[in-house]
Amino acid sequence: MTSPTARPLAAQEADSADSASLDETPARQARRPVAGPSVAAVVQRKPADEATTATAPATKVDIRHVNFFYGKFQALHDISVPLYDRHVTAFIGPSGCGKSTLLRILNRIYELYPGQVATGEVYVDGINILDPGLDLNRLRAKVGMVFQKPTPFPMAIYDNIAFGIRLYDKVSKSQLDDRVESALRRAALWDEVKDKLRDSGLSLSGGQQQRLCIARAIAIEPEVLLLDEPASALDPISTQRIEELIAELKTDYCIAMVTHNMQQAARSSDYTAFLYLGELVEFDETETIFTHPRVRRTEDYITGRFG
Amino acid sequence: MPADIAIARRRKSAGRHGSFGDPAFKGLTLAFAVLVLVVLAGVLVSLVLGALPALQHFGFNFLITEAWNPVTEKFGALAPVYGTLVTSAIAMLIGIPVAFGVALFITELCPSWLKRPLSMMIELLAAIPSIIYGIWGLFVLAPFVQEHIEPALIDTLGTIPGIGLLFQGPPLGIGVLTAGFILAIMVLPFISAVMRDVFETVPAVLRESTYALGATTSEVVWRVVLPYARIGVFGGILLGLGRALGETMAVTFVIGNAHHIHASLLQPGTTISAALANEFTEAVGDLYLSSLIALGLILFVITFIVLALAKLLLIRLEKQGAG
Amino acid sequence: MPLYARRRLSNWIIIGLSVAATAFGLLWLVMVMGTLLINGVGAIGPALFAQMTPPPGSSGGLLNAIAGSLAMTGIATLIGTPTGILAGTFLAEYARGNQFGELVRFINDVLLSAPSIIIGLFVYEVMVVRMGHFSAWAGAVALAIIMVPVVVRTTEDMLRLVPSALREAAAALGAPKWKVVVLVTYRAAMQGMVTGVLLAIARISGETAPLLFTALNNQFWSTDLNRPMANLPVVIYQFAMSPYADWQLLAWGGALLITASILVLNITARILAAWSSFKP
Repeated sequence: MTSPTARPLAAQEADSADSASLDETPARQARRPVAGPSVAAVVQRKPADEATTATAPATKVDIRHVNFFYGKFQALHDISVPLYDRHVTAFIGPSGCGKSTLLRILNRIYELYPGQVATGEVYVDGINILDPGLDLNRLRAKVGMVFQKPTPFPMAIYDNIAFGIRLYDKVSKSQLDDRVESALRRAALWDEVKDKLRDSGLSLSGGQQQRLCIARAIAIEPEVLLLDEPASALDPISTQRIEELIAELKTDYCIAMVTHNMQQAARSSDYTAFLYLGELVEFDETETIFTHPRVRRTEDYITGRFG
Repeated sequence: MPADIAIARRRKSAGRHGSFGDPAFKGLTLAFAVLVLVVLAGVLVSLVLGALPALQHFGFNFLITEAWNPVTEKFGALAPVYGTLVTSAIAMLIGIPVAFGVALFITELCPSWLKRPLSMMIELLAAIPSIIYGIWGLFVLAPFVQEHIEPALIDTLGTIPGIGLLFQGPPLGIGVLTAGFILAIMVLPFISAVMRDVFETVPAVLRESTYALGATTSEVVWRVVLPYARIGVFGGILLGLGRALGETMAVTFVIGNAHHIHASLLQPGTTISAALANEFTEAVGDLYLSSLIALGLILFVITFIVLALAKLLLIRLEKQGAG
Repeated sequence: MPLYARRRLSNWIIIGLSVAATAFGLLWLVMVMGTLLINGVGAIGPALFAQMTPPPGSSGGLLNAIAGSLAMTGIATLIGTPTGILAGTFLAEYARGNQFGELVRFINDVLLSAPSIIIGLFVYEVMVVRMGHFSAWAGAVALAIIMVPVVVRTTEDMLRLVPSALREAAAALGAPKWKVVVLVTYRAAMQGMVTGVLLAIARISGETAPLLFTALNNQFWSTDLNRPMANLPVVIYQFAMSPYADWQLLAWGGALLITASILVLNITARILAAWSSFKP
């Protein structure tokens, strides 16, 4: 398996444009994904990210040989995959393949429920977060999560953001105001809510609520952001705004995103991992996965032959 | 270690959040949950201790003696227990069919705009305290029963051999029958509410497919909904029974407070709770007091068994529904 | 009669019976409320709220009884509400699916429907006998014991309704469990919990039996919680069973008062519940 860090993304894209004409053997042509063009076209249209790919990306989260059990049922089998800092890694796969399960290991939110067990190691900046002695609250300060369904707390918009901040820092009122505003700005929500910060978080539209949840998560200044199908409950326009937001946020965070929408994965991510029935089938740069995946099963999924 | 610092980052007042607040809160809530158990245990223990003198003195005879004489200090539980059981039986006989009718009406027949107000009004019956039923029973129902219902019963059913024994004697208004009747009205909303809830858990597809076969409404309910929901219905009935057994004030007002057993329902009698309400504060003498507490113990045991059974059935129903 | 016609007939009969049953139930509601209103309204007046319970043959009011009931209900609420809420929190947040939780829930539901006179007996043995006299404290404790299972049940039900996604979102921010419960879950369930408390208060407002052997009654005005205290239900009981017309009138008045307050509490609770479902 070639290391995905070997060649900068921009160079790869240039290659694939050429390869269409130069390297195309009849066999290769035959194997070209049929439903692929829309996805492949999306991938190829993505502007090259010079800034983040000038140097080889650093591994922020290193998942090593992770298994996961719901009681007796094994949901994840020997998963090993790196997540790179300041890049977006998408997890795709059919329903029930374990992608959300994997995400929920990264902030150990599964431990709220008895009978769910993870084995293996997950290193965040060199520390194994599956260590039983680890302070979970501090882990979750470093690894933030946004859920599929927007979950604003039943309090004012301001208090939603302030809730997380107050957990960790004693800040003065003006500092708090600043941090709330900063979080809402980064989540592209400030202009819409600046006049109604005291209104309930529940009074916002679905898309706004989700951006509120994103603001809430980044307000506590994590380093890793876990997004579990962040736009699946939203309409297309809100989805687009969320995706734009993700593109902006990735310059500051290591983002792991679960999505069942392949086009979204193709649009928004730099790396993609394809899971099937709890196993990691293939992991590579997004462009590679969607244009010439190595594994037959990946190709079948991408082209819609199953799933 | 640098990585350690990286995780700690710049948390100024990080402190040790969960390490102290969490166990404390959990312990606090646990303590109060245990308190619930303690209360029940306390009730049982205090009743047993209080009843012990009487039980030791009278032995098993306590349960089968009708006599109740504070002067000679001969006490027996037969009359109150009999009254408790009979009034509750009457309450069930009247209450169950009526509750079923109400539940049927609300779930199947009622236009949807009427459902909520109607349910609320039936539930209001449950909100009225026992003592209100009591004085209403004494001043309104008893005279009414005395003037109209009882003479009619005596003249019709009283003449039939066998059943007629239940309807003998002068129409007094107060008595076992009236008490049973008021209890029926009081337990009606409880049974009906449980029945309604249970009917509504029956999957719509089941009802629809039965209607689709051309079944009438009553057939749908009688043949399909009721059997499907029978565990819950039975649980609801037991719940109503548990309430009827323990009702105090409504019964005290209209039962006549006579420690006697009669075949006729038109005669006064007493129930355990009515006896307690009437006599406890004036009871003199340890044996008298202890006998009353023994009555309370019997009531507690009976209602506990009935309510526990009801609860077990309803739990089984939940598991069945979830499975 | 052909089968089809027979089926239709029995259907109509059963439908008719169920309509009759519903009318029957409603009839009694109307009758009880109606007689309460008719007989009780005559007693309503400034005197009712200004004067004490009189000896038979003279006029008076129910002031001491009203005050006593308010006091004991108030104390019972202060004791019962936190107890019930905390126990209910334990069941909903720490004991889902485990056996201890099942046991507590089971016992709680049995206590919920247990005869209130037995509770009165218990508090008599534990408090009145120990203290050597009847007291308002004992009455309040008896009422609190009756109140707690209701609050436990409604609290647990309401907390369970809060979607787990909300808890997860708070936990994902790093909040320790107790903060998640107190700052987020309670807030989300607040309306339902308050409704439960209101309904519990309504339930104990009319309870007579537990007060019979604990607070007893007091003809006079008393603020001493260590002594028997007048209360509406026992006064109604005493006056209604008496042969004196003016006492009976006062009994009706008191009954009307109790029923009216219970109705108000119930309606408030329902409005609260409906309002919460309309909030955006």
